[in-house]
Amino acid sequence: MKSVQIRHAVLGKAWLGICVAVQIAAAAVGVSMILSPAPAAAKTPEACAALQAKYPSLKGKTLVNAVNPHTPGYEALDPNDPSKYVGFDIDLGEAIGDCLGFKVTYKPVTFAALLTTLEAGQADIVISDIYATKQRAKAADFITYLKVYDGVLVAKGNPKKIDGINLSMCGATAAENTGFVEVPLVQALEEKCKAAGKPAPGIQLYDNNANCIQAILSGRADTYVNDVNTVDGAVKAYPDKLEKATAVTLPYSVGIAVPRNKTEFRDAVFAALAEIQKSGLQAELMKKWNLPVDQMEAPKLVLAD
Amino acid sequence: MELFFHYLSQSYLLTGIIYTLLITALGLGGGLVMGVVLAGMQLSRFPVLALITRAYAIIFRGTPLILQMIFCYNALPMIGVKLTAVEAAGLALALNEAPFIAEIIRGNIIAVDRGQVIAGQALGMTPDVVMLRVVAPQAIRSMVPALGNEAVSALKNSSLASVVSVQELTLRSTQLASANFDFFSIFFASGLMYLALTGAIAAIQIVVEVLLDLDLPTPEARLARLLPWRRRTVEIVYAKAPRLAAPDLPALAAPPLSAPAPARAGFSIDREKRLATLADRPLAVEISALRKSYDGKTVLESIDLVVRVGEVVALLGPSGSGKSTLLRCINHLETWDSGAIKVTGRELGFDAQNRPLSPRAIANERAAIGVGMVFQNFNLFGHLTAKENIAGPLRWVHGFSRSDADLRARELLDRVGLANRAEALPRHMSGGQQQRVAIARALAPNPTILLLDEPTSALDPELVSEVLEVIGRLAVEDGLTMIISTHQISFAKDVADRAVFLDAGSIVEEGPADVVLSRPRNARTAQFLQILTDEAVARA
Repeated sequence: MKSVQIRHAVLGKAWLGICVAVQIAAAAVGVSMILSPAPAAAKTPEACAALQAKYPSLKGKTLVNAVNPHTPGYEALDPNDPSKYVGFDIDLGEAIGDCLGFKVTYKPVTFAALLTTLEAGQADIVISDIYATKQRAKAADFITYLKVYDGVLVAKGNPKKIDGINLSMCGATAAENTGFVEVPLVQALEEKCKAAGKPAPGIQLYDNNANCIQAILSGRADTYVNDVNTVDGAVKAYPDKLEKATAVTLPYSVGIAVPRNKTEFRDAVFAALAEIQKSGLQAELMKKWNLPVDQMEAPKLVLAD
Repeated sequence: MELFFHYLSQSYLLTGIIYTLLITALGLGGGLVMGVVLAGMQLSRFPVLALITRAYAIIFRGTPLILQMIFCYNALPMIGVKLTAVEAAGLALALNEAPFIAEIIRGNIIAVDRGQVIAGQALGMTPDVVMLRVVAPQAIRSMVPALGNEAVSALKNSSLASVVSVQELTLRSTQLASANFDFFSIFFASGLMYLALTGAIAAIQIVVEVLLDLDLPTPEARLARLLPWRRRTVEIVYAKAPRLAAPDLPALAAPPLSAPAPARAGFSIDREKRLATLADRPLAVEISALRKSYDGKTVLESIDLVVRVGEVVALLGPSGSGKSTLLRCINHLETWDSGAIKVTGRELGFDAQNRPLSPRAIANERAAIGVGMVFQNFNLFGHLTAKENIAGPLRWVHGFSRSDADLRARELLDRVGLANRAEALPRHMSGGQQQRVAIARALAPNPTILLLDEPTSALDPELVSEVLEVIGRLAVEDGLTMIISTHQISFAKDVADRAVFLDAGSIVEEGPADVVLSRPRNARTAQFLQILTDEAVARA
């Protein structure tokens, strides 16, 4: 079991004094912000030594990974120790860091702010279950690592009989996060529904996974379409209230986002990911987080046209 | 319920409080500093600064804080300013709070009685001293409730820092809820934490208000106000106090003034002899060809007036005839269009090249030359006791030590018969008492000239005599040079050496007081005197 610390990168040198005060106060309430260093990954692929020699500029650095930590299984707080983020994406990022010799800190942002944070230079990398689309590639370069399977989350018993992003959603209300690829897919149903003489589907936009799940629990929304593992996690948390209606495939891959102008860094991450997959480490991590291993995808770049 | 208590004591959430407080402190502190600057700019003499402030307020008051947070965090890096999340959120909150705090400051500064500002100027205080000693102490007291509101609002607004990844309470609560799906316990716990924080701000506000409350001068009284169950005893003390004090008040002891003030024995003087001595005295005030207009309307027209040292001049005339304006011109509280005013041979308010001086330099000159002024509405500093109203300006303007200033203040209060009211606030004194304190305040720095602008017009009839008594003694016992605008004809007749009658901004008649007031030659003077006499008879 590999755990990961959250090193708060928010306080800069200018705030040294305040930072010290915060540290003291934090200690007073029983928390140390700086935890013991993360244990080394289970195994670091042999080839990583060569990569570190090839990309020496990353060695010893601390990079900021922007995450939307509302997706248990991929990235969320450790409920048993909320000072840590845990999940498959977190472990994968740490593995890449270990391979290339950099450390990772985390910046929690809304889903819609993942790429803007990267663009603004407030983060160096985004590994947060984000689908690599051509549209998003205008804001960042993507290196894919998983195939996308979506699940359709509905209330227990599926009262609206929803069975996918299709005419069964006409007249229903879908909860989605701002910026999700599913949003335009549901919106595209509007014309189809009208052509079939049915009311258009409604969309409620939230800014994290948990709010979308709450929307179904409270009866405000009828369905939430998102990564199948996330949907399964929600069903597991509320087995009496939620169920997965079906799984759908979307023509996308999950990708690691890196800044567009940093090709050397992109190449380094790409190479490290390839080694992690080759060595079987990614498969091992997917097993640890209950992700089906056939979802793994060989790295490929998704870039803007 | 058990979970709820678990989250209440969870260090992860409690640490979030520290970030919440940090952002709030940055926002309020920065907002307060910027607010003071913005308020100063808006109140300044320069229209450009006020315009900049307006534009700033329109932008930062008119856009949502969440956008400002995102702007500071994600847009500033594009111009090379990369702030940490805490800095960016603190900056955004400060930028957002600033115009609100500026308006609170500005509103409370404007609300301070303008008369007190003018009184401060007349006492020779520079604009800085007036702001620091007169305006700020009163404005700060009245802005505490609004600032308390602002602090609560800033604390709640700090939750928006979650959008730029600051690990504050709201962000930590939502993340935790996402990880373990335990929404209600977590949000109830963080809601209670916010309540505790805003409750603490409310408590601080109450304590500050009580500490600043002038009506609770002693630590015991302040404590009693903070502990409501003890309040009852204080009310009893309050209720008793005035009843015990009432018989001692000289105001009530003075006989009501139902007829024109009767000639007092003390004032009967050998006029001929007095006039003869005055004729040889040097000039105290020399006004030549003074002209002033407001918006094209002439208020003073070719005024020529000479007052000698030790002379008492009564300025008479109907309302709007320019009496007050003339008095204010003498110590340069007002500007004028043409003509010259010399006080003890010096032209107050102009440098050697005849250029107008800065407000600061004029204030210093006023203090140096020594022109005291007493106002119709007393204009005592509302936050200071009778003694401090007198002693304060001596320390701030004339560099007296505290003990010297206190000694002088007590001496003067004794002279105006108010030694027992030294620690009273103006609002606890009668109008007559306030005016006597105001006279003592004007006399404290030993002015060469005392200007009195209708000193009894705002008083109830039964309080007029106590003030006239004091002024009369100054003329007779001290030989003080005085220019008094007044409607008290018999008083003027008794006390003044000379009467000057103003009508529509011009001097229409002047001469020995007893002659002008008994046998006026000018028709307007006669008519005006007749009206005053008729009124006095009607009142009798």
